[in-house]
Amino acid sequence: MTEPGSIVFVVDDDPSVRRAIKRLVESVGLHVELFGSAAEFMNSSHPDLVSCLVLDIRLPGISGLDFQRDLAKSKNEIPTIFITAHGDIPMTVRAMKGGAVEFLTKPFRDQDLLDAIQVGLERDRSRRQRQAETAMLRQRLESLTPREREVLPLVVSGLLNKQVAAEIGTTEATVKVHRSQLMKKMGADSLPDLVRMAEKIGVTGSKR
Amino acid sequence: MATQPVDAQLRKTGIGVVGDVPWGTHFFMFYETKEDLLDTLVPYFKAGLETGELCLWLVSDPLTEEEARNALRKAVPEFERYVADRSIEILAGRRFYVSGDDLDLQKAIRTWAEKTDFALTRGYAGLRVSASTAWLERKDWNAFCDYENEVNNSIGAWRMTALCSYPLAGSTAAEILDVTRTHQFAIARRNKSWEVVETSELKQAKSEIKRLNDELERRVIERTQQLTALNEEMRQEMIERQRAEEALQEAQAELVRVTRALDMGELAATIAHEVNQPLTAIVTNGNFCLRRLEGVTPNLDELQAAITEIVNDGARASAVTSRIRGLLMKGAPRRTELDVNRIIQDVSILLRKELTRGDVSVRTDLAPDLPRVAGDPVQLQQVLINLIMNALEAMRFSTEQPRKLLIRSAKSTDGVLVQVHDSGPGIEPGLSTRIFEPFFTTKAEGIGMGLSISHSIIESHGGQLSLVPSPQGALFEFILPVAMND
Repeated sequence: MTEPGSIVFVVDDDPSVRRAIKRLVESVGLHVELFGSAAEFMNSSHPDLVSCLVLDIRLPGISGLDFQRDLAKSKNEIPTIFITAHGDIPMTVRAMKGGAVEFLTKPFRDQDLLDAIQVGLERDRSRRQRQAETAMLRQRLESLTPREREVLPLVVSGLLNKQVAAEIGTTEATVKVHRSQLMKKMGADSLPDLVRMAEKIGVTGSKR
Repeated sequence: MATQPVDAQLRKTGIGVVGDVPWGTHFFMFYETKEDLLDTLVPYFKAGLETGELCLWLVSDPLTEEEARNALRKAVPEFERYVADRSIEILAGRRFYVSGDDLDLQKAIRTWAEKTDFALTRGYAGLRVSASTAWLERKDWNAFCDYENEVNNSIGAWRMTALCSYPLAGSTAAEILDVTRTHQFAIARRNKSWEVVETSELKQAKSEIKRLNDELERRVIERTQQLTALNEEMRQEMIERQRAEEALQEAQAELVRVTRALDMGELAATIAHEVNQPLTAIVTNGNFCLRRLEGVTPNLDELQAAITEIVNDGARASAVTSRIRGLLMKGAPRRTELDVNRIIQDVSILLRKELTRGDVSVRTDLAPDLPRVAGDPVQLQQVLINLIMNALEAMRFSTEQPRKLLIRSAKSTDGVLVQVHDSGPGIEPGLSTRIFEPFFTTKAEGIGMGLSISHSIIESHGGQLSLVPSPQGALFEFILPVAMND
């Protein structure tokens, strides 16, 4: 169960709760870092690793819910598990709407917390993968010539080579060349593959 | 008779002692010498010419037209121009009044009217006249007096001033009286200087004016005093209103404070947080220990550290609960002698907005002359607020219309009775004892502390809070013992 390269951040104002959680989470082989407040968390630097956040709602200074909102605003998409001693329905709704992985009421079952942490880490891992993939695709998109970039949306929108040629005013043979070039450059094996890639980087098929 | 609206504008007489007079002034002078005449009439006409009046000087013995003209020429720089454009006429008096051989005083009156009209048409400010009567024969005296009287009566409507000169020498006492009667006032030389001699009528008029002025002033003062009083009243009212507003604000702030204290959700959150923190640590550490014990070789140091924390957190949780108990039962409560009706009224005012919003009509049926009870007013307010808010919530979803709330106070054998009776769905008989248990609630959002705390408060006052069976709605009542001194 050891998970190299991942980390669990715990923000809770109660030191004995923090220590207990650290003990529990470390017992399943995860690395844990503790913080007493949202500000403390924000002011420290974090290694760029797969991670998730265990966040108490009732915190000194800014509350856990407001902190979640601030994180979202600053494009920090770290998966968050809320723990609270007294949660009500509106609070839960707000937390879940804000993208929380789980909302646990103290005292929680140890397995519930550990499960939620696993879900959170998994979510972060796939998010990171998606991000890496998108970055790679963008890089590939950059390598296309202007003409190929022009052809791409037309191809992914399902036009035949002949139709693409008519659209951009060239011959079918030329389009064929552009098409095979851009497929190669994007690393796409098939048209559906290319369509998926285009979607990921926000290139939408355009039928004029 | 041609009349012009006479305005209040004053005319300069040129005669220092007289000063300015309004249009329609008809006055006279007694003279003895030619110098007397020139002394007054030259400045009189000079002022007339220089203020744009048409001037007519009827002279008679001892003054000649020539002498009058020469005297004016010396006094008035542009005299020749005035003569040229006929701004001034200097005539022999007799010629003006006499047609043929007969005195024609009606013509004279007509002439004044016409001359005034003429003056105004020509753009003059009005007509200024002086006439001398030395030519007058004794036989015509009475007729002339009638004429003067008529002038005196009519002149008020004309834009005309007239100064008549009478020779003092040879005037009889009766004549002097006649002249005085037919003019508004006189000027006479006394010890070389001219003085205004007021006729009795003028005196009367002046005293009347003074009286009216005094009256006006009195009324102005009176009115001013009334206004000042009214102002003061308004100011007082404003202060009063401001005070009322401040009192209202205070009451609202008090309501916020009381409801805050009664905000059980907040209290429950605090309790839950305070107790759940150590519990969380205990449970988590306990689980950790269990997990470790499942392992092959448990690390005893690690287990000892976790168990030590469990013990510490257990003590912490226990301290929290005793602290909360202390908070709720905060020593000996404040005891003052108080009027239960007053508390009911205060609370009804505090909750008026909530009750109106809930569309609840409140009736209070308060017994007069209740004995005072010993208690903590804030705690008793809290109990009442709690009962009323419960009633309000019970009726919120009730289809029973209208929503009615009765708050009653009465004397009872054990003390003072207070009842809160709503028209809601009531409370199931099976629950009637459980509702006072802590954490028992029928409300979706409730935490079951309100009635429990209210019950404790009334109990600590030596009373009893209970639910009384009622055919409709819920009826809560409590009895508070009468204060010892009462």
